[in-house]
Amino acid sequence: MSSNDNASSSPGTHREPVQLDAKALASARRDALLRRARRIRRSVASLTAVLFSTAFLVIYVQLASGHDPALVANAKRTAGTSTTTGSSKASTTSTSTESSTGEDSEPTDTESPTSSATESEASEESSGGASAVTTSQS
Amino acid sequence: MTITTQANILATAIGPHLFWITSRAAGIAALLLSSLSVCLGLLMGRSIIKGRRADMRVAHEALSLATLAAIVVHGLTLLGDGYLNPSLGDLMVPFLSGYKTFWTSIGIVSFWMLAALGLSYYARTRIGVQRWRALHRFTALAWVLGLAHSLGEGTDAGQTWFLAMTAIVAVPAIGLLVTRFSRTSEAHSATSQAAPARLPHSSRRLSGTALPPARLERP
Repeated sequence: MSSNDNASSSPGTHREPVQLDAKALASARRDALLRRARRIRRSVASLTAVLFSTAFLVIYVQLASGHDPALVANAKRTAGTSTTTGSSKASTTSTSTESSTGEDSEPTDTESPTSSATESEASEESSGGASAVTTSQS
Repeated sequence: MTITTQANILATAIGPHLFWITSRAAGIAALLLSSLSVCLGLLMGRSIIKGRRADMRVAHEALSLATLAAIVVHGLTLLGDGYLNPSLGDLMVPFLSGYKTFWTSIGIVSFWMLAALGLSYYARTRIGVQRWRALHRFTALAWVLGLAHSLGEGTDAGQTWFLAMTAIVAVPAIGLLVTRFSRTSEAHSATSQAAPARLPHSSRRLSGTALPPARLERP
């Protein structure tokens, strides 16, 4: 090998190329490792963005098409409670509110709750559900 | 109806729910990322994948940090939700929120566990590597709690697409977790049976050859 050839001439200088090679190799390996790490971090960041965007889009479309599970359940619940209270109060309340709300919208929003707190809560819930449902219909 | 009108209708329909949708999307992203991270972490401990250990560690770390970021977004965006209207305390302290208290608290506990056990990686030399490694195993428990939170409280928990998406990443992680636990318990039981037969307890203590359980098992 070259180490045997250079051993007689100068013992200090014959190792330099080897040492340089080792250092270069180590730094190259370190660079490659860092480069790979950077690439992995970047791909994880983009994966996160893609996952978030996909989930957002799916939920958005679901909500806009009126198939959002929470809003549909709320709308059903509100409709259910309003029909029961509506039927019980039908004999006592006037029919003017029903005629003003129209045929598609839930008539119960205006007539069902007795206390102001529950009224505002119910209208809030139904407005969310109604907006989604009417969007899908339109 | 023109496209602009339709877009306007959609915008008004989504407007009040923007924070809610963002929170849900971030929660789903966090669940998927954490499942991937758990999978990778469990695979790192297996002898199947020997090469690319450094790359796997970087990916595991990046996925864990992305998970924590997604959970922070998931929680903080709820502050803007007009329907739920939670306080910061409701989102940070378990058993304080009035909305589905049990499942919400599980989620909060899971987040704190993930944050503490995950970020302690950067202080592992101070904690002690062995101790940190022992503590880090509880991350799997935090992930299970998070999974329970998403299935128990998640708005989309009953949706097919959500269940399918969760199953794709969670089932392999659960499989790996079960395999790991069964192997660990087998090793422990074998060690406890074999150790007294090989060397008496007193002589082991005197000679100072008390090895970790895994070492005793190997030929």
